[in-house]
Amino acid sequence: MKLNYVLEPLGEMKAMYQAYHEEMVELSQKNNKIVLLYGDFPHGAAGDLLQKDHPDRVYDVGIAEANLITTAAGMAGGGYLPFTHCHSIFAVGRAYNQIRQNVAFDRLNVKIVLCNSGMLWPFMGGSHQMIEEIAALRAIPNMVLVSPGDPVSTKKMTHALAEHVGPSALRISNPAVPTVYRDDFPFELGKAVTLTDGNDATIISTGMMLSDALEAADTLAKEGIKVRLLDMHTLKPIDEGAIIKAAKETGAIVTVEDSSIIGGLGGAVAEIVAETATATVKRVGIQDRFGQSGTVPELKEEYKISARDIIQAVRDSVKKK
Amino acid sequence: MAHDEKLIQKLAEKAKIIRRDAVEMIRAGKLGWIGGSFSQADIITALVFHHMKHDPKNQDMAERDRLIVSKAHCCETVYAALGEAGYFSKELYQSYGQMGATLQAHTERIVPGVEYSGGSLGEGLSFALGEALAARIDAPKDSSGRAVPRYRVFCIVGDGESNEGQMWEAVMASLHYKVDNLVAILDHNKFQSGGTVEERLNMMPWVDKWKAFGWDTTEIDGHDFEAILTALENADKVKGKPHAIIAHTIKCKGVPSFEHKNLHFGNISDEMYAEAMKALK
Repeated sequence: MKLNYVLEPLGEMKAMYQAYHEEMVELSQKNNKIVLLYGDFPHGAAGDLLQKDHPDRVYDVGIAEANLITTAAGMAGGGYLPFTHCHSIFAVGRAYNQIRQNVAFDRLNVKIVLCNSGMLWPFMGGSHQMIEEIAALRAIPNMVLVSPGDPVSTKKMTHALAEHVGPSALRISNPAVPTVYRDDFPFELGKAVTLTDGNDATIISTGMMLSDALEAADTLAKEGIKVRLLDMHTLKPIDEGAIIKAAKETGAIVTVEDSSIIGGLGGAVAEIVAETATATVKRVGIQDRFGQSGTVPELKEEYKISARDIIQAVRDSVKKK
Repeated sequence: MAHDEKLIQKLAEKAKIIRRDAVEMIRAGKLGWIGGSFSQADIITALVFHHMKHDPKNQDMAERDRLIVSKAHCCETVYAALGEAGYFSKELYQSYGQMGATLQAHTERIVPGVEYSGGSLGEGLSFALGEALAARIDAPKDSSGRAVPRYRVFCIVGDGESNEGQMWEAVMASLHYKVDNLVAILDHNKFQSGGTVEERLNMMPWVDKWKAFGWDTTEIDGHDFEAILTALENADKVKGKPHAIIAHTIKCKGVPSFEHKNLHFGNISDEMYAEAMKALK
């Protein structure tokens, strides 16, 4: 059974970065402590607008991600609220220590926007497709890590991070994705959202795989398998309660992500279930492989993270119960 | 222009005190970085006890100047300067580097007066840049249209530390944004952990590098208070670009028998302690 704040049919296609900017245009006008920093990255609507009115609140440090993150930390030290923008692979990949040491260690109020996160970034190839960011960031103390699944939740999450005081990272995918949520869907940082009700199995999804997970839930419902679909938008702090409840009440969990199953959402859910509850956890995600060029549908097929793969995983899990 | 004799004398006294206190700290912690702490001690003294605007009784004052010690392992003279200035009780020295201590082995923001949690070299100048930029946001403009920064930022970097690429990222960006309220001071003590800086990674010519990146660059004797103060005051006068002071220093300066040796990291033996205390009387 689908909750009423889930759009049916799905809404307009939009890129998360665009949705993020629509929210940031508003936020940066309202909050004069917001500073936008870029590592030779598109400044977007918010950056361009702010550049006109407040050029002292927009900085581009060029292709220098380490400097990007640490300069942001210094601005937080100086009382401002910086948002950094660069490719996820370079933020987490090149500037891991800077995130960990300059931001998280001192709980500085820096918002790290992980642009083009995850495997599903078409064309660019394996050097750019970041599959380890969830594994890397959730192991850092004091971090808040969120991964919206559609444009509406992207806006809500951006807003929530601007209000949250502390180190935060926001996973933004590259492709246009369908709008899944009604504008007023119930959102709370750290609380998973239920999209469909059911007790035969649970699908826990994070990030842009949400619409694929929803498609899978719909198909399974037609086969008589009633799936509980949870959008685990907050990876840290993760909604342990929802996971334990799902494990106890449904006995079979399938996690879905476009990142590595090692240490990603799948890892996080497995850790909790193994300690506290009884359920199987089947992890749909990138199986320890680097990426490659391709279109989004091709990548989903190749890396076994399509709706079909989710459906099969659920069928297998239910059989094993 | 020469500075008041009494001021120079006062600074020399303070520099001795912080060196002595640094020795006590390292003895208490059974480990520490005496060499690099001592080479920067006079620069720290000039900043904390004269040049910087700050108030231990009003530690969070928004317009305080910032001291970012990027070579954060050389924490002992930083802590000693802050303790002597009144940021916290000197009782904290005894627990330096031990379980539960406020004075951790690398400077951390939890210590009153410390602005930067270091330990990972090459990052502090970026942090300093961020603080310097923040000082200018929405600041009132002078008659030439230049935003007048609310505070200045002083960043001490090491020569070994200068191997780190990130430092040069900050150097480039600081020039690009004409961050003239930022002063980087290179504690050029000619050694790094593994040996002389020439042996490890030869970065000569030092001064030319900063000049090539466009910074307003001066070269001084880092143990001459007259020269330190003059260089800092000149940095205040030059607008439109960031400032680099290349300070030639001696590792472990202050105890003649320790000088020029690469006493990078370690404990201070009873013999060393006796020698140090004699030299620093």
